[in-house]
Amino acid sequence: MGGMHGFGAVVLPGGELPYHERWEPRVFALWAISEVEGLGAGSGRALRERMPPDEYLRASYYERWLWSNEQRLLAKGTVSPGEIDAWVARLEADEQPPAAKRPDQGARVVDALRSGTGELAPAGETAFRVGDAVRVKRMHPAGHTRCPRYVRGARGTVGAVRGTYPLPDAGPRHRELEPVYSVSFSSEDVFGAVDEPPWTLHLDLYEHYLEAA
Amino acid sequence: MTEHHDHDGHHHHPQERSAAELRADALEALLAEKGLVSAEAIDAVVSYYENDVGPQNGARVVARAWADPEYRERLLADGTAAVKEMGFTGFELNTLVAVENTPGVHNVVVCTLCSCYPWPLLGLPPTWYKSAPYRARVVAEPRAVLEEFGLELADDIELRVWDSTAEVRYLVVPARPEGTDGWSEEELARLVPRDAMVGTGLAHAPDTVGSGEPF
Repeated sequence: MGGMHGFGAVVLPGGELPYHERWEPRVFALWAISEVEGLGAGSGRALRERMPPDEYLRASYYERWLWSNEQRLLAKGTVSPGEIDAWVARLEADEQPPAAKRPDQGARVVDALRSGTGELAPAGETAFRVGDAVRVKRMHPAGHTRCPRYVRGARGTVGAVRGTYPLPDAGPRHRELEPVYSVSFSSEDVFGAVDEPPWTLHLDLYEHYLEAA
Repeated sequence: MTEHHDHDGHHHHPQERSAAELRADALEALLAEKGLVSAEAIDAVVSYYENDVGPQNGARVVARAWADPEYRERLLADGTAAVKEMGFTGFELNTLVAVENTPGVHNVVVCTLCSCYPWPLLGLPPTWYKSAPYRARVVAEPRAVLEEFGLELADDIELRVWDSTAEVRYLVVPARPEGTDGWSEEELARLVPRDAMVGTGLAHAPDTVGSGEPF
């Protein structure tokens, strides 16, 4: 969304809270449990981006998480098409939801959330070094990518080598280990001259997004 | 929270529920029916992010960096290891980079692609951080956005905007307020609000903070 126009104010009443409705943290928790317990297939983020764009922009943050978690559970076969709709109807008819007996599940999931996931591995051979001038390639991938549109084509400088990580992007190189760089850009090279004094932008970019400049 | 909702999730009259809430409840009911997810596990995860992790953790890291020059160096050199030293690990903290505000430099963090945020240090992100206006605007007109937060930066301050596009998460180390010489880490931590660690705010001045709850 970087650089899109027309969204209005950032600071709004209530905006300091992480959520506002009872169901929102439960959607988040259900996502976390699905993740830790392996109930879904695919990346939630990549899936959220597959929401039709008009729906994505209209949906609230946790509506997107609910939608993407449903997609993951469906993809894995944990739930079947129609089952959620059926439960919507049952709840509307005032049926009480059942209780599952999983006495150790809460502690197990919280432990996993607390211990976390792996750090970036140290980078071995890299194509670029700190101080190198690079340009973000022009690209227009259809699926998930971590290369924001607003820096494509811009010239920047490698500020740090962050390490290597499995590429999250959709496509044939998905999950291949790739170096990640912190690349800095001057605002003028990205957005041109604007009303504000220049600033710098720093993005973590995978190696294949970059070419020597 | 809206006031007409109780918190156990099972006793709402249907008319009170929005379509999203009803669908969220339906998915929860379905996974319970399949014996896969218990309501207690959901409660435990919600409670973990409401009570155990939050900006109080990040504030302890910042306070220690202010009080202990060697820790500050370690934090700036290898944020991941430095916060692990203090017991902070977990989802959304694969690799941490701490960026320091100085008299000439101000840092601010965003995730334009979604909502990346160092949960174990700051808790779950506020609504504004995840909102389209922040994601769209802070990279393209950062001073205007910071002004909305009441933060006016002099023209000659170098403003660095960090977009968390990969698996690195960022923590801003705000400048230590003047007049805090000799303060303990615990006292210093009270001066560090969440927004100061995202870069949309500054640390509190010492005379604005009482002895009560810091957050």
